[in-house]
Amino acid sequence: MGIAFAVAYLAPRVNAQTDSTGAVVHNSPLGGSEKFLLAGEVFTTWQTTKIHGLPATNSFGNDPDYPMGLMLMPLVKLTDRLFLDAQMQVSANPGPGGGTDVGLNEAIIYYRLTPEINLFAGDFQPRAGLYEGILDDFTNRYGSAPIGMGISTLSEPGIGVQGGIQLGYSKLLYQLFVANGPQLVVDSTGAQNGQLNYGNYSDNNNNKAVGGEIGLLPFSNSTLELGVSGQYTPHTGNAGSPLENISNTTYAAYINYYHVFNPLMIRLQGQYEYAQTKGYNLYTNASDTAILISKFTNQMSGWFGGVTFRLSGSSNTFISNLELAGRVGQLTLPQGAVWGATHPENQTTICLTYWLTWKTPLNLVYDIYTQSGSPTQTVFTVRGMWFF
Amino acid sequence: MKTMVNIKTVLYTLVIGISSIVIINGCKTPEAIRGKSGAQLWGENCIRCHNSPAPNTFSDDQWDVAAEHMRQKAILTDVEITKIRDFLKTANK
Repeated sequence: MGIAFAVAYLAPRVNAQTDSTGAVVHNSPLGGSEKFLLAGEVFTTWQTTKIHGLPATNSFGNDPDYPMGLMLMPLVKLTDRLFLDAQMQVSANPGPGGGTDVGLNEAIIYYRLTPEINLFAGDFQPRAGLYEGILDDFTNRYGSAPIGMGISTLSEPGIGVQGGIQLGYSKLLYQLFVANGPQLVVDSTGAQNGQLNYGNYSDNNNNKAVGGEIGLLPFSNSTLELGVSGQYTPHTGNAGSPLENISNTTYAAYINYYHVFNPLMIRLQGQYEYAQTKGYNLYTNASDTAILISKFTNQMSGWFGGVTFRLSGSSNTFISNLELAGRVGQLTLPQGAVWGATHPENQTTICLTYWLTWKTPLNLVYDIYTQSGSPTQTVFTVRGMWFF
Repeated sequence: MKTMVNIKTVLYTLVIGISSIVIINGCKTPEAIRGKSGAQLWGENCIRCHNSPAPNTFSDDQWDVAAEHMRQKAILTDVEITKIRDFLKTANK
């Protein structure tokens, strides 16, 4: 009966589609205009972690930034002006209990209005510096994640406009957007009180975040890129709550520079991020909210600076595929927060990469983490990443 | 508070500095820039973030899609991405 129903229901449509008498099918794309590419990457890490005074531990896939996983990036050119870009990830959960994390990193539709104006909408990673979304996968030449990143703007739903403009010998790139913005976490235990959640498809109030980035490539050979970005969210708390008017502001600035002294290529990369949640320390009246709110200045910052060396011009293939990188960085969390820290945490990284292909790095990474009043932690990581 | 002021000062300085460079350069594109080939633009721009892929990495249709992805990801200019895409397609024969 089900098959009969399906045939009866579909029959008129099937007949219409097989009618070749010149019927016009409206809204169909030009023949051959849709093009599809499935990109992605698989990655895993092996780490040995040593905290001063304790035995070392060894783990596969335990790196929270690069656990074992698969990322798929379906890319669809729908028409000459319309483009769909998505990114989803399945990865092992390195936390207690294991399990699997499935996430939608980005899903964006772009429309090219003019050569300089591209409209976009969806769940997107705003241009907040250069690390998040651009230098954070096989493009991360330091193997491990920089300690001071990830406190600025993360993926969120919204709309925006972006484009690149040639200005004389220089180039300007810009992005402006409106998004749902982050939501304030209110936690009676204090463990996460004052933190912000991104990626909220349902906004908790009627105000939106606004932000953007301006980047400049001042040299005609595009070797140097500088940029500043920011986002302002006037309300992060739930609508109608005493905490609604708590605002959040983030800034980021970056530099990305390369130079070739044949056969040596040198890169200089760096980024600074800052985030402040204002007004937070004023809300301490537990009788109004029945929520315990600690008094602390809710601001944090992070930065990294790195340099890489690669003899890319060498006639020896093995030598030319090696890249040596060094990086320092720091993360400063709010003092007084349960999730904060009294002192900044510092990271020193050295990484040797062998490029199996242009997009397949094998990284050997040594990180040293230090913090006043805490034992030194060293981590040796082997990271394998194959981008396809 | 002092840290906040210093950060704002740095950011305002950067914005003013960038704006000044933009004004000084003006809007007219010099011939040296207009005359750049797709191969030259490919060599200058791709390497800024990742190693440059060889032209035979993808098919023509795949390059059409990859170029659109890079147009948005790297926010390249329309002229740049068009020339780079056309170079990669002609060079992968």
